[in-house]
Amino acid sequence: MTAAIEVEGLSVSFPGPDGRQRVLEDVGFRIAAGEVLALVGESGSGKSITALACMRLVPKPGRIDTGRVALEGRELLPLSVPEMRSVRGAGLSMIFQEPMTSLSPVVTVGDQVAEAILLHESVSKRAARERVVALFESVGIPDAAARTNAYPHQLSGGLKQRVMIAMALSTRPRVLIADEPTTALDVTIQAQILELMRDLQRETGTAILLITHDLGIVNELADRVAVMYAGKIVERAPRRALLSDPRHPYTQGLLRSIPALARPGERLEEIPGVVPAPDDWPAGCRFSTRCAIAFDRCRAEVPAERALGPDRSSACFALEPEAGS
Amino acid sequence: MSEVPLLRVDGLRTWFPIKRGLLRRTVGHVRAVDGVDLTIREGQTLALVGESGCGKTTVGRSILRLEEAREGRILYRGTDLRTLEPKAMRPLRQKLQIVFQDPMASLNPRLRVHDILAEGLRSFGIGSPGSERTDRIAALLRRVQLDPAAMWRYAHEFSGGQRQRIGIARALAVDPELVICDESVSALDVSIQAQILNLLGDLQQEMGLAYLFITHDLSVVRYLADEVAVMYLGQIVENGPTARIFSDPAHPYTRGLLEAVPSVDPDRRRARAAVLGDVPSPADPPPGCRFHTRCPERMPRCDQEAPPLFEVERGESRCFLSGPR
Repeated sequence: MTAAIEVEGLSVSFPGPDGRQRVLEDVGFRIAAGEVLALVGESGSGKSITALACMRLVPKPGRIDTGRVALEGRELLPLSVPEMRSVRGAGLSMIFQEPMTSLSPVVTVGDQVAEAILLHESVSKRAARERVVALFESVGIPDAAARTNAYPHQLSGGLKQRVMIAMALSTRPRVLIADEPTTALDVTIQAQILELMRDLQRETGTAILLITHDLGIVNELADRVAVMYAGKIVERAPRRALLSDPRHPYTQGLLRSIPALARPGERLEEIPGVVPAPDDWPAGCRFSTRCAIAFDRCRAEVPAERALGPDRSSACFALEPEAGS
Repeated sequence: MSEVPLLRVDGLRTWFPIKRGLLRRTVGHVRAVDGVDLTIREGQTLALVGESGCGKTTVGRSILRLEEAREGRILYRGTDLRTLEPKAMRPLRQKLQIVFQDPMASLNPRLRVHDILAEGLRSFGIGSPGSERTDRIAALLRRVQLDPAAMWRYAHEFSGGQRQRIGIARALAVDPELVICDESVSALDVSIQAQILNLLGDLQQEMGLAYLFITHDLSVVRYLADEVAVMYLGQIVENGPTARIFSDPAHPYTRGLLEAVPSVDPDRRRARAAVLGDVPSPADPPPGCRFHTRCPERMPRCDQEAPPLFEVERGESRCFLSGPR
């Protein structure tokens, strides 16, 4: 079956003092229609760059060095700029963490969403406006018809994010990329938006690439999870398996450092140090400098991703059969 | 309990004027803090929890008199800080310190870490200038687990977690008794957050510090607070010991907050949007119970009468359902 989106061998670099510096290395995944893949990691892991690379929106002077991105079987990287523009929005949409930065402050939100529809479809202005009202209703904006005349600054953070979701869905995309869609929101509003995304996804069958640092949100929305560290995917597994039985030492550390899982008064388990910057990535396994169980081989060789069973894999020498013997 | 608490806040009101027109006439007030009582005991942690705009940050700033309250008492070991002349306030400022959310915004980028930490020592005349102060600064940096050599570098050269350690060292430099932590770990990645939470716990044990921990993050609260006060639109809606608040929340808003937090337990995929809509403007709070516009358990009287804080088992709740039936 053709995946809704398929990414393979994606590498991105930025110019550095000693030539080009890789920030993303050999990242791949596929998402089927109706499926949610969460890409999890801390800041600097490369998860947002992965999202931007899929949209071909890597900010200059960054560039995609290698790899392929296919949307329902259609290769995106060879497309011309105008071709890519029509894919963006129509087949592939994105919502960002901070809705304010992606909405124009001087155009009403209704006009902005209508514009997105008119750009991709030949419908009358009036039909587009009507669809905007219906979209606003479907994303739970109260008083939808009146709210189409509002400017972004007149709306709360939660309503702005609903407008962004309405805009992203206005062209009925096959794949939606959601980059930290609820991080800027209060927890009660976040719960509303998560519920909305779940309902919409069930109704439309859109494939979602969810970028987040929050394993709670992964649990709420994802079917499968890929964990990123320092520009690479280090573990992948279905949601339940990842949360109940993480295998990579980094994933284990992430879960153990969550205060919600600790007993009050007990020390939290720490991952020592910080995520290294790209120009500071160690040789061998990039997690080796912070890993409690790293051995000599980890500092010398790069572990490849290996299957750990059906549908899950990890890049760690300690998980290989010969390790420890 | 007969002992005088370290800090008691009594009927605190901090309003901000809304000015309009050419003459900048005051046309109303944002009632950021509107009648708040709090008690913090020596060596204990009180968490002040709420969503953005609830007034929790203003409470912290009012205690330090960074904002001038219009009403209420701030009793530090029984002395009302609001009645003190600036000169009499000075020695007490030493006892009350604050750590902000964004250490980058609160640390002067033109100063070396040494100068940032020496500032407090100098202004309170701690240690003699020169090598004695430098030794103290080295000890402070060691205490927050930074290399003493860090004192000769600038704040911008450090990562977010390291900067937060510098912010904590600055607060500790003058030997405080109460540290107000305003979203001090909210901007950090989870693995770094665990390091800082452990550090705060260690320092509390070693130095007998009390914390007022201002946050929106309930998982952190459950982990570190002895007592919790939940704030909504300028008022405390519930308070009590942490274990009781989490196991048996009395106020519908507290319940809504708890239900909205995504869990990482794969068997509990359940974050519910029990609290609907947005927080109303604190410039124009709803009549009656301020929460009634979003309350899933609202009754006819709730938009008419404002509920007082009713005593519940171990704590208080501002809801008619907690009052006498």
